[in-house]
Amino acid sequence: MKRMRRPFLSAALIAASLFLAVPAGAVPPGVGECMDCHGDKTIEMSLPGGQTVSLYIDLQAYRSSVHGGGSCVTCHADASAPHGKLKKVSCDKCHGDAGKSYAGSAHGKLRAKGITDVPGCDGCHGKHDIRRPKDPVARTFRLNIAATCLRCHKDRALEPRYQHLPDQKLLAAYEQSVHGMASKKSGLLGSAVCVDCHGNHAILPGDQPRSATHRQKIPTMCGKCHPGILDQYERSVHGKGMRAGIAESPVCTDCHGEHTIAKIGDPSSSVSPRNIPKTCSGCHDEEGISTRYALPKKRFSSYMDSFHGIAVEYGMTKAANCSSCHGVHDILPSSDPASTVHKANIPKTCGKCHPNAGPNFAKGAVHVEVSPKKAMGVFAVRLFYTIFITALVILFVLHVGLELYGRWDRKRSGAPGGKERKP
Amino acid sequence: MSRADLAAGKVIRMSLPFRVQHLLLAILLTVLAVTGFALMYHENSLAQWLIRMEGGVHNRGIVHRVAAVLLMANLVHHVFYMLFSREGKPELRQLFITKRDIDDFLQSLRYNLGTATEYPPFGRYGYKEKFQYWGAAAGIVLISLTGLMLWGEEFSMRLFPKFVLDLAIIIHGYQGLLAFLVLFLWHLYNVHLHPSVFPMNPSWITGKVSVEWLREEHPLEYEKLKEEGVL
Repeated sequence: MKRMRRPFLSAALIAASLFLAVPAGAVPPGVGECMDCHGDKTIEMSLPGGQTVSLYIDLQAYRSSVHGGGSCVTCHADASAPHGKLKKVSCDKCHGDAGKSYAGSAHGKLRAKGITDVPGCDGCHGKHDIRRPKDPVARTFRLNIAATCLRCHKDRALEPRYQHLPDQKLLAAYEQSVHGMASKKSGLLGSAVCVDCHGNHAILPGDQPRSATHRQKIPTMCGKCHPGILDQYERSVHGKGMRAGIAESPVCTDCHGEHTIAKIGDPSSSVSPRNIPKTCSGCHDEEGISTRYALPKKRFSSYMDSFHGIAVEYGMTKAANCSSCHGVHDILPSSDPASTVHKANIPKTCGKCHPNAGPNFAKGAVHVEVSPKKAMGVFAVRLFYTIFITALVILFVLHVGLELYGRWDRKRSGAPGGKERKP
Repeated sequence: MSRADLAAGKVIRMSLPFRVQHLLLAILLTVLAVTGFALMYHENSLAQWLIRMEGGVHNRGIVHRVAAVLLMANLVHHVFYMLFSREGKPELRQLFITKRDIDDFLQSLRYNLGTATEYPPFGRYGYKEKFQYWGAAAGIVLISLTGLMLWGEEFSMRLFPKFVLDLAIIIHGYQGLLAFLVLFLWHLYNVHLHPSVFPMNPSWITGKVSVEWLREEHPLEYEKLKEEGVL
């Protein structure tokens, strides 16, 4: 490095002496010259609409920026002193790769169509005050990224103008999510911010196959930070299904949500003990999915009618929910001998909460689907009672009716009204 | 039976021990029904309101179990009272269902249809009362057994496969429904709405009925009391 610097320095000296030799008019202005005008806080430009734009440049901010050691003309190559409207600055000259990625992104494509509401480079990085992403005051510092993105994505004024803009409320929900709270409240650098999932320059909507947030990529994406969970998921029936290309097999976000991800202990979480039956039954109580993959039916209603279901519904969250028996990321079908709900493992699984539930207890279905095929005993007893109660009620009503009829009939025929014997 | 009662044309039908047992039964069954049906029909909005009123699903369970224990104690006491007490033994004898009750039932039907000229004369208890008594007794025994099985679920799990407990839940719930409907439709009709007692047979509170009512509704009992010289 040291060896390199010396020839560079001498080249710069030669160049400087050359500049001194040429006539004053052709010399590009130095920072000092630019600041003669742009250091004035009142300098403005009027726009055709009558608005004015400040042309003041904060030299201090520029000097402490990543580009602060350079000169104005590096970016504003066509600037002279004084000058009229300059050409748009292009960062591509030095940042070609980022420029290329950006051009393919949702932002870049719209920008190419002339829509200036979408951010260009400066929208996220700033202009004269650009800092390195590692710098805590940078707009692109990990803890500042959410605020940078939400500046537009939480802006209600933008919502009606762009149909495909994701729901602002949902994006704002990130701030309350476990990831948002970890970075915003606790200042953890390791927590996921927008770019960790969505990427940065090449950002695309999740429905496009090249998007970082496309369904197929989600488990791997979350696995970047949660490798242990990813490992379990890959071995589960859901993970295997997903890898086999079954699009309906759930990925992380189907259960946990996206921007709303919350801790299990948070009552609003889609995977909290109280909400998990609803979350699982989003697929498992869905006629089409159950039929297509030959899944057992009535899992939700049979659970909700059980003591476990009722208890959980009314807030006794220590009662078993879906994942208490079936597992969480490592769910396997009951036909798999490694499954927690495999016939042979049921006593052990029940035994987690009910130490007395041995192999004898495990006989019969856990989800009681009341039908002659699935639970004959329960079905028969229920049918018996239904018929018996109905018959009894009908007989009561008939008996009462008959008694009242007899009374009325005797009264009509001139006999005493009650049970009195005829004289 | 006091002289004053007889002078006022009243005769005792429910002694104090029976009135206490009956009142306890009425209160406890109501509590059990309200807490039980809230759970059985938990998806219904009224049931959900009830569960909230009962302090959540956990407290509901406590109330239900306390009432159940008192009801079973009441039942055990009643059994001993009927088997061994001086008042209970003859009562029990008179509650046995005989062929005569079936004949009485059929004759009452014929009478009301107009093909029999006389309404069957009942003794101390007619077929309606006997049916009610034994129905309730069998129901309470069944519902107590299944209830105990479900209460001591850790113990039951050691003894029974899960489907036995599934059956116990179904029996417990539907037996409760059956008892509730019998009491509401049958018993409350007989003691409140029936023309001979409307608006209420007062004996569950005062213990007494009118001699006139007894002669009308239970003529054989009336004649027996007359023969014994009580009246």
